[in-house]
Amino acid sequence: MTETGGSTGQFYAELNAAWAIAKKDIAIYYLKPNIIVSGALFPLFMFLAFAVGKPAGPSVMIPGLIAITILFSASSIEPVSIPIERRMKTFDRLVSAPVSLHAVVLGESLSGFLYSIGIALVPFIAGLLIFGTPILDIVPLVCGIILTAFCFATMGTLFAAYPTESPGDIMSMLNMVRLPLIFISGVFIPLESIPSVGQILVYFSPLTYGNDLIQAAYQGSTHFNALTDIAMLCIFILIFQIIANRLYKKFNE
Amino acid sequence: MQVIDVSHLSKRFGALTALDDVSFSVSEGETFGFLGPNGAGKTTTIRILTGISAPSGGTATIFGNDIIRDPIATRKQLGIVHETSNIYDDLTAWQNLMFTAELYTVGKPEREKRGSDLLELFGLLERRYDKVRGFSKGMKRRLTLAMGLINNPRLLFLDEPTSGLDVQSNLIIRDVIRDLNVQGVTVFLTTHNIEEANLICDRVAIINHGRIAAIDSPEQLKKTIQSVQSVEVAFDGAVPRRMEDLKLIPKVSEVRKEGDKFRLYTEDPSSVISAIMEYAKAHNFRVLSMTTFGPSLEDVFIKLTGLEIRTRGVSTVD
Repeated sequence: MTETGGSTGQFYAELNAAWAIAKKDIAIYYLKPNIIVSGALFPLFMFLAFAVGKPAGPSVMIPGLIAITILFSASSIEPVSIPIERRMKTFDRLVSAPVSLHAVVLGESLSGFLYSIGIALVPFIAGLLIFGTPILDIVPLVCGIILTAFCFATMGTLFAAYPTESPGDIMSMLNMVRLPLIFISGVFIPLESIPSVGQILVYFSPLTYGNDLIQAAYQGSTHFNALTDIAMLCIFILIFQIIANRLYKKFNE
Repeated sequence: MQVIDVSHLSKRFGALTALDDVSFSVSEGETFGFLGPNGAGKTTTIRILTGISAPSGGTATIFGNDIIRDPIATRKQLGIVHETSNIYDDLTAWQNLMFTAELYTVGKPEREKRGSDLLELFGLLERRYDKVRGFSKGMKRRLTLAMGLINNPRLLFLDEPTSGLDVQSNLIIRDVIRDLNVQGVTVFLTTHNIEEANLICDRVAIINHGRIAAIDSPEQLKKTIQSVQSVEVAFDGAVPRRMEDLKLIPKVSEVRKEGDKFRLYTEDPSSVISAIMEYAKAHNFRVLSMTTFGPSLEDVFIKLTGLEIRTRGVSTVD
């Protein structure tokens, strides 16, 4: 189904609708128990499981914690909210509104993005106040948090396109992707130490670039470079948005 | 002016044909009923016309806009009340209304004014800040209708608006539909409630197995089956085997017991009335009341959809 709306008025209508969808998700889903467990507690326990006892200092561990917190929190809202909305038939209300599917996908992604930013502030502030971890460059940190959060929020929206009314179905599929990402993105294992097979996969993980940017803020150096990281995250966002739009259109028909 | 123009619309889900070559049009200001049994294709039609799903074939325009090529322009002028009350239980009535208004880009002062007016109209103003979770089914349905009207639509789609509701909610919703019609709003209504279609609709399309069986005004549809007339009679006191006795009256094709009354279907009501009086006199019964009826929309529906209602229960015959 082709959707047009080239005028400025329609553009603002799309943004308004996206923001309305995000606000609705914030009001309804942020405090749902399965989202708190999946988006906030799960990354914390994952981090404790892999990081406790390691000799690395806070300047290595805090950026890793921020990165996996963003991965899990940003991609946890839509896989819960969208199947519930399908079950309650409220999703029909969104797709029958006078806006394009892009606005619906953007709005859903926006709620995951904002949730993730809020959750990511916890390890960030803990790093500052408890461990006194110095931030060497704030710009890659801000870019890293924002782009990584939006990238994984869009990824969550993409997975939620699968036409099911059960959040568990989507979470299972999503975890098949999220968990391996942790080990091929330099969060726990430095990129240089990853076996040669994994060295290729590294490039296909958006978390690699997000983690690299956030690490740069704390350690002053990047594996790639900041501009490459930013460009790659933008490309991943674009790809996820396009695929998400196509899947929602396909499954809606 | 034709508000809806549907031509040779079809929808297939794998091997199942949900809509098969459906064509009809709806004029401005008309209340158009889409009547059919469950699974006939009513909701599929409404989902296609509102742009939720795409047709497998055919075309449809709303206010001259092609629903496939320009769904956004089409939807801007629509109000949609879905079959289930699809509202957010964790939001208040007011939040639900305002959210819908924002999806339709209704400006803040206008949406707040209209939201208050609609909640008052539907008897929900005092509960506006309550979460919908605690609302009754009727209240949720009224709120759903209010959400469908928040953008002041020119065309309102109502999918089974009063199905399973309490009397108060039913009356409120029917009154609102009539008022909207007076204001010139075009209403497209799907229902399996025959009496509702008869009371509200200017024209009715009867759909069965994805095909349109007939389209006309309720009165014109009734005229197509004049052979189905009936005489309703009530006797004083109950007598065993009365049903069997009445079935023996000449020219009676069917007898149904309806509460304390019997309805005798016939092509010749006057001879049946005489026979009933003779039967009563012969057995010394008193006739409490007797009324003749022309064919009802239900009779038309039964004839066209092949639904057969028997006095010993209900069975469907395709």
